[in-house]
Amino acid sequence: MLSTLLASDVVAPFSSPKIDYHALAPELVLAGVIVAVLLADLFLEESKKWVLSTIAGFGLLAAFIPIVTLAVSGHRARSMFGGAYVVDTYSLLVKGIFLLAGYVVVLLSQNYLEEGDYYQGEYYFLLLSSILGMVMMGSSRDLVTIFVSLEFLSIPAYMLAAWRKRDLKSNEAGTKYYLLGVFASAVMLYGMSLLYGDTGTTILKGIGAKLQNGSMSPVAVLGIVFVIIGFAFKVSAVPFHNWAPDTYQGAPTPITAFLSVASKAAGFVALINLIYVAFPHGGDVFQPMIGVMAASTMTLGNVMALRQTNIVRMLAYSSISQGGFILMPLAVAGGKSSGNALTAIVTYLAVYAATNLGLFAVIIAVSRKTRSGEVSSWGGLFSYAPLLGVLATAFLASLAGIPPLGGWVAKFGAFRAVITSGTNWGYALAIVGAVNSVIAFGYYGSLMREIWMKPVPDGDTAPIRTPSSLNAALMICGGATLALGVVPGIILRFSDIIKL
Amino acid sequence: MNAVMIAIIEPQPIWYLMLSALLFSIGAFGVLVRRNPLIMFMCIELMLNAVNLSFVAFSRIWGDIGGQSTVFFVLVVAAAEVVVGLGIIVSILRRKPGATADDISLMKG
Amino acid sequence: MNNFPILTALVLVPAAGALVVALMSKRHPDIVKLAGVGFSVVTGALSIWVLGKFHTGGDGSFQLVSQHSWIKQWGIGWHLGIDGISLFLVVLTGILFPIALLGSDSHHDIKPYTAWILLLEAGVMGSFLSLDLFLFFVFFEIVLVPMYFLIGGWGYDKRVYAALKFFIYTMLGSAFMLVGILTTVFLAKAQLGHITFDLVELQKASFAVSTGRWLFLAFAIAFAVKVPIFPFHTWLPDAHTQAPTAGSVLLAGVMLKLGTYGLLRFSFGLFPEATRYFRPLFLTLGVIGILYGAIVATMQKDLKRVVAYSSVAHMGFIVLGAFAFTGQAVSGSVLQMINHGVSTGALFLLVGMISERRHTREISQLKGLQSVAPIFAGVFTLVMLSSIGVPGLNGFVGEFMILIGTFLTARWWTVVAAAGVILAALYLLWAYQRVFHGQPDEANKTFSELKLKEALVLAPLLGIIVFTGVYPKPMLDRIQPAVNKLVQHVDYPQPQSPIAAAEGGQ
Repeated sequence: MLSTLLASDVVAPFSSPKIDYHALAPELVLAGVIVAVLLADLFLEESKKWVLSTIAGFGLLAAFIPIVTLAVSGHRARSMFGGAYVVDTYSLLVKGIFLLAGYVVVLLSQNYLEEGDYYQGEYYFLLLSSILGMVMMGSSRDLVTIFVSLEFLSIPAYMLAAWRKRDLKSNEAGTKYYLLGVFASAVMLYGMSLLYGDTGTTILKGIGAKLQNGSMSPVAVLGIVFVIIGFAFKVSAVPFHNWAPDTYQGAPTPITAFLSVASKAAGFVALINLIYVAFPHGGDVFQPMIGVMAASTMTLGNVMALRQTNIVRMLAYSSISQGGFILMPLAVAGGKSSGNALTAIVTYLAVYAATNLGLFAVIIAVSRKTRSGEVSSWGGLFSYAPLLGVLATAFLASLAGIPPLGGWVAKFGAFRAVITSGTNWGYALAIVGAVNSVIAFGYYGSLMREIWMKPVPDGDTAPIRTPSSLNAALMICGGATLALGVVPGIILRFSDIIKL
Repeated sequence: MNAVMIAIIEPQPIWYLMLSALLFSIGAFGVLVRRNPLIMFMCIELMLNAVNLSFVAFSRIWGDIGGQSTVFFVLVVAAAEVVVGLGIIVSILRRKPGATADDISLMKG
Repeated sequence: MNNFPILTALVLVPAAGALVVALMSKRHPDIVKLAGVGFSVVTGALSIWVLGKFHTGGDGSFQLVSQHSWIKQWGIGWHLGIDGISLFLVVLTGILFPIALLGSDSHHDIKPYTAWILLLEAGVMGSFLSLDLFLFFVFFEIVLVPMYFLIGGWGYDKRVYAALKFFIYTMLGSAFMLVGILTTVFLAKAQLGHITFDLVELQKASFAVSTGRWLFLAFAIAFAVKVPIFPFHTWLPDAHTQAPTAGSVLLAGVMLKLGTYGLLRFSFGLFPEATRYFRPLFLTLGVIGILYGAIVATMQKDLKRVVAYSSVAHMGFIVLGAFAFTGQAVSGSVLQMINHGVSTGALFLLVGMISERRHTREISQLKGLQSVAPIFAGVFTLVMLSSIGVPGLNGFVGEFMILIGTFLTARWWTVVAAAGVILAALYLLWAYQRVFHGQPDEANKTFSELKLKEALVLAPLLGIIVFTGVYPKPMLDRIQPAVNKLVQHVDYPQPQSPIAAAEGGQ
């Protein structure tokens, strides 16, 4: 058999693929920075390790430059490797979000690592690798590329979650994240193999051409279901969300911020790639599935968040429920509001990234003083740290969707997408979403109440000293949250034109 | 006569697919039922290999090399996962020898 | 100065004030208070200027319009305008905020207190002026946040509970309204050909009967909670009793009007058919509100709760008049919104003064205040009589117009509602009697007389009460064109009675 295979015209000469180095520049720059961090770590003394975070931070910003040049270069889409890797406005936009979110995470990590005495070189190396995986995910248009990007971003994240290795909680966080993450990849891979088996190709576009509503084979249906379940783990959608609260609580706080924002966003980006390119005509299969997941995710996330007393855990559930809102537009993708849904999700991801990272920055800043993660430790925050109090309120209000902070733009887009679909299904989702945005006030409001109305625990009203990197992160996130809410045009002018 | 017999028992690609589905189910079942992190981890490996088998079988059906090359990616990534996973599991077992998934539950709610 | 964007300034001046106050140093509370009062007085002056520039007569369309694009992609614009319905609400807002700031004391943390009040003013102004559905929604929501913090941060014992209840109730309403707004806009897109949130443009679209009714309900729930219409009123007594004085004054004075104003402007304006369809329901709820509010007010032991429940009754009148669909009743409703704002605002200020002096609002603890503080009692009497609706004072004009106008189209509801007028006299006079009459006991002997500062704060309100009661014509002249236009838009069969004919002949 091997001989027949070998004989059958494999001698077709290997032609090396044309590589568009400009299109790959963000990835190449990042790869260069990763190597630089590793090398620098070898030669730096322990006291000089802070240089690594500077390299990582500037590296991320440097990778942003080619994104800008690509955006203004005018080509609509640059397709490589037979359509497996595409750089278009959509992928540039999500790459930009990943890089900026990564930059903020580096800012958050700086003092946390130095004061906690953790391994800095490896930390930034892994963080950057994970970001590189996300950036690749933005362009992946092939099952294999998606898989590789997914693992590229996940494997470093498993280690980062377990980074405080002397702490059992952190170990537990890493183990749970790892076991469920790998399990989810296996499920997803099996789905991919079924899709490949049904269509004979791994290129998403090719799969999309073959899968049609009504005439799908059971194998393809199973493939779609398995692939979506695999990513449902990644975006912690109910009922595949169990790992998230434990992992978020146990992981180092900057990594929690990273996982809840960037890693989640990467999951959504993968889902978008798959749904919009590979299953655009498979709405009969994925729409009900994602719709039910969206409704149950936001509801369960909210209800569980109401009873939490630990801030990070509360935010974990809040982030699960926000994930439900991001899933909501996906449930009507493929219909007539496909374009709106895509805009809505990307806008939501950008706003959510700014807001949630900002909130975690506040948590890190406050816990520098209180050394506690309990909700009650925020009592009277406004009275001794007015700026942090106001910023935290702004971030919470944005998550709750109160204008003029960014959150409302995101929620608005999501509602618009489901309502314009014009189906009863869409209206039902909109109602569930509306009710949930009210339930969410229960816990966002309880945090605000602590900040403004409760007395300071222990009466310790010494002001909080925040290092400059944390201040920078707070300012970036605060500014972005406000700007996105007041002038949503800055994100909409990009997210409105993207197409897949 | 002999040739016919051989033709009947010659393995068809579909056999491999069924085997792969079986392996995958055993693996998934194991992950959900077993409580030892190491065994759960081995079950996941079983699932990944079921996927490989399935890719190769489909590749054979389509006469396309794409599926086979995918397998290499899966193998490499699985190896990377093993390294990381064992690292994490060892670090937790070192601090808590004989821990099962039920013991790893400091956080709840 | 003709091109000065005066309506935009009405929104931005208090917003800027909130920002400036927030950035000031908290070491000098006097300067903070001065700045806060300064900004709100400037806003008040602007609102008076609007009153002067407002063109009386005309066809009741929007004036002083300011229109700019905000988010082009979604058809959302900065569209502000004013007509007879919103004019006096804006003026009321402009007058009441400086009064509330001057007439109350924060006791602690004056800086955030003042900043929140100014932000509240910006939100309220924006809500009354917005002609863009989305802009309206944004301001409608912004209003909640400062109120939540004012109640929760500066209120009485059970403030946190009251604040959360207030917030959740109103948010739940708004959530339905958001879905309603979006659905309206996207359904209208099919007819108009482009996406827009502009109220004036959306009024051109017409909806299928059942769709229109559902959408009407989505809007109406949000407004009904805000008014509050029975049975959505339960947040109100808690919020009022726990709120600081300024909070109560503003809540009753202007925020409740957001609900009735929203009904008139948006529910009536967008869904005339559904408005007619749900008329009996809302008339009934209005009447229930009148009677229920009055009866429950009678039984209260806390003076502030008496005033709070009287609000429920008064708002019932306003709803009744609005859904009568005659020019007279709707004009009466609009007028009554102002009257209620003035008299209930003044009542809350007075109750606040009592509780500052005595540290209690229990009616049973208060006795014989008339003999120790006759001027205070006199002012209280005047305000109370205005709230009851005694002829010669403002309350009478509004209630009378509502009852007359409603009688033409909804006779039996009016008959029952009239009983509410009598009950109002009962609960307020009874409360007055218990608090002010009799011989003061030890604790009440030291009750101090009205101070000059307090008198100055109350003076403008008393002036409005008397002026409107004696000579309401200038106000009605400005209100009526817009109301007539709205009544025509709702298109309910008008009665052919001599009164209506005389009304039409004017």
